[in-house]
Amino acid sequence: MPEQSNDYRVVVFGAAGVGKSSLVLRFVRGTFRETYIPTIEDTYRQVISCDKNICTLQITDTTGSHQFPAMQRLSISKGHAFILVYSVTSRQSMEELQPIYDQICQIKGDIQKIPIMLVGNKSDETQRELDASEGEALASQWKCSFMETSAKMNYNVQELFQELLNLEKRRTVSLQVDGKKSKQQKKKDKLKGKCSVM
Amino acid sequence: MKDASLYPELEDEILRLHQLVETVELKVPEETPPSSKQVKPLFRHFRRIDSCLQTRVAFRGSDEIFCRVYMPDHSYVTIRSRLSASVQDILAAVTEKLQYSEEQSAREEALALVVVASSGEKALLQPNEECVFTTLGINSHLFACTKDAIESLVPLPEEIQISPGDAEFHRVEAEEIANHMTAFHWELFRCVHELEFVDYVFHGERGRRETANLELLLQRCSEVQHWVATEILLCESLGKRAHLLKKFIKIAAICKQNQDMLSFYAMVMGLDNAAVSRLRLTWEKLPGKFKNLFRKFETLTDPCRNHKAYREVLSKMNPPLIPFVPLILKDLTFVHEGSKTLLDGLVNVEKLHAIAEKVRTIRKYRSRPLSLDLEASPSQLQTKAYVRQLQVIDNQNLLFELSYKLEASSQ
Repeated sequence: MPEQSNDYRVVVFGAAGVGKSSLVLRFVRGTFRETYIPTIEDTYRQVISCDKNICTLQITDTTGSHQFPAMQRLSISKGHAFILVYSVTSRQSMEELQPIYDQICQIKGDIQKIPIMLVGNKSDETQRELDASEGEALASQWKCSFMETSAKMNYNVQELFQELLNLEKRRTVSLQVDGKKSKQQKKKDKLKGKCSVM
Repeated sequence: MKDASLYPELEDEILRLHQLVETVELKVPEETPPSSKQVKPLFRHFRRIDSCLQTRVAFRGSDEIFCRVYMPDHSYVTIRSRLSASVQDILAAVTEKLQYSEEQSAREEALALVVVASSGEKALLQPNEECVFTTLGINSHLFACTKDAIESLVPLPEEIQISPGDAEFHRVEAEEIANHMTAFHWELFRCVHELEFVDYVFHGERGRRETANLELLLQRCSEVQHWVATEILLCESLGKRAHLLKKFIKIAAICKQNQDMLSFYAMVMGLDNAAVSRLRLTWEKLPGKFKNLFRKFETLTDPCRNHKAYREVLSKMNPPLIPFVPLILKDLTFVHEGSKTLLDGLVNVEKLHAIAEKVRTIRKYRSRPLSLDLEASPSQLQTKAYVRQLQVIDNQNLLFELSYKLEASSQ
């Protein structure tokens, strides 16, 4: 499908090995891979509908190393929504998100309208370095949303992307998840146009 | 930066400002990673500003590069590969990236690697083909898909933005652009090993074909041609467009003075692109002096009598000079295909002498260093970066479309 100007671009950032690719692949393909293959930059496209038009959800999975500052800047500049991932097993991975958050603020300016989700992945792991409360604290400091996920156990992955799209106020984009919608969601749908994944 | 939200139109400018700041604040890397581990920038997305400003180093088959491989829906994965990798190797890397889970990989249908040009033209690559990365056209991309999906592959949309005539290029002096072009082309020319010329023409009969640097130089030639056409056709204002024409002719003249016949030839060809030459109103606005100058340039690049005019001018030049490389390859091809190398087990020595003579000429062109007076001021660095990162449209149909929009057919 050729790229249209109504693409909705989500960019996933985070330190190496936190599970960015796993989250994206779990969402897009429904699968999980045990072997670790470092990403350079991959982009997945999925057709969704918004405001009764077809649009494409474009998810960019980035590298955890810092090889391409220009590419990172470009992704931020073109991105509509951002997912910042850390691993609950690594305090350092949470700390590494600060410069990325700063850069998003720098490039975007006003981040109030921009959906940003802080994600603590690998919630299935028992050897934690970080509690959910610490994630919540950072999210409230950054004034963004937060959730813990596990790509391995397929926990909260669909919810992550659904919630991210729900945060988008500039236009109406959302996914339909299992036909089940919260009362809040149904009310929202009545007020705006209904949207669904194709 | 907080003001950025007030001026959304300036987003592009902010990006450029960031890049410029990075350029100016270039720091020498504290530790240079061992060259064997370093990945070389080949494709545009993976070029860092600092590396593109450094002097070009020749590519080797063993160099590692990053490359995007696209899917039919324009998703892509980025793989890391040796420059000389075979299509089979590339597909293995792609399949590994796409591997959903171990069970599914067995069920996956074999993927094919296809080159899709910006015009929509497709070419299926054979599994044993090697060194394919440098053979891609300027805006061609690699696609991996199942055989039955090849038919319906659609090229990527153009990334280029239409400018109302205020692009960076408009602000810089012709001389500055010409000098940076020549400097860059000299670097590219020097990266081409003498044997690459022979290998290219003999189609790797000596063994594995390693002609990456030559291919990149040829690609650059095409890029310069299309750059001229693109800049003119993206300029919507008639007055500014005529000014651009004048500027390009000036740049071509300075390149010729610099003895950079590659830029000169490529630019004249660009101005002769049918989509550009049909802009009657624009050409009419050109001052008489420049009209005459361009006519002289066209005579010089006229292929009649085997490019006699060009060859004469070239013979009067002393090194260093950058020749119009496609013509050298044409000559070599003529020598190679004109007679057999081996006849009844006997070597055609005269043919080999002819080839050697041509290679010696190339050696002569490069026998003296080229020196241009180029400062390292921030604005010059910006021009240097611009010249080395041209974004062009190479889809001729699109160029015609743009041309008709600017000046509809008269009569």
